Amino acid sequence: MGAFEYRQAEEIRDAFARHSVRYLFIGKSGAILLGFPDTTQDADLFVERTPQNGAALVAAIRELGFDLTSQQAAEICLGKDFVQLKNGPFDLDLVFAPDGIERFADAWSRHVDVEGFPVCHPDDIIASKAATNRVKDRESLPRLRAFRDYWMRKRSA
Amino acid sequence: MASHPPSPIAQEWIDEFEAASRRPLPVRVRYAFIKTYRPVLDDEPFRAFDTMEDYRRWCEAELPDWLGYGRF
Repeated sequence: MGAFEYRQAEEIRDAFARHSVRYLFIGKSGAILLGFPDTTQDADLFVERTPQNGAALVAAIRELGFDLTSQQAAEICLGKDFVQLKNGPFDLDLVFAPDGIERFADAWSRHVDVEGFPVCHPDDIIASKAATNRVKDRESLPRLRAFRDYWMRKRSA
Repeated sequence: MASHPPSPIAQEWIDEFEAASRRPLPVRVRYAFIKTYRPVLDDEPFRAFDTMEDYRRWCEAELPDWLGYGRF
């Protein structure tokens, strides 16, 4: 399996739209869509945890080519806090309860549309990474905060 | 949501942000996503964790420190 490609981001966007999945790009993949120049391995999606959205999500990711057993599908439908998928055409992390963000609806109300991709606001991406307090996040946070300030200034100009 | 007052940004970073902003989105994605093998993390096709805390603890217990998934 190679690196995640733009075409695959489009496939997520289109499949999720067909199935009306409520989600947001989060983490460094979200920041990259906003324009943050950095590198990452995974696409991270913050998914709204409802039974209806879980069922739609399973249908969409199966359509994308992920090979899910019925038990795995059930775990996604249940909305486990974190699901790591490496059984499809690309790696995908599903986050139902990111650290540092209270509710999906809050993040949705602040989200940014980037050429059709729903992306968490940079403040939410930063809040999530800051709350996680991992070594790799702490190293990238100063630059991400600087990008947030740059992005806000450019947006309001 | 945590926020903070804007602060001066290093010119080096501004230059990088400006350069990125001039690239079309597909190019930004192509430059940003990489693939390298991560021991343990990449060895199972599916994992699900009941809570984020469970996931964080699993990372700290199972992943090599140098991957950076440990917490301070």
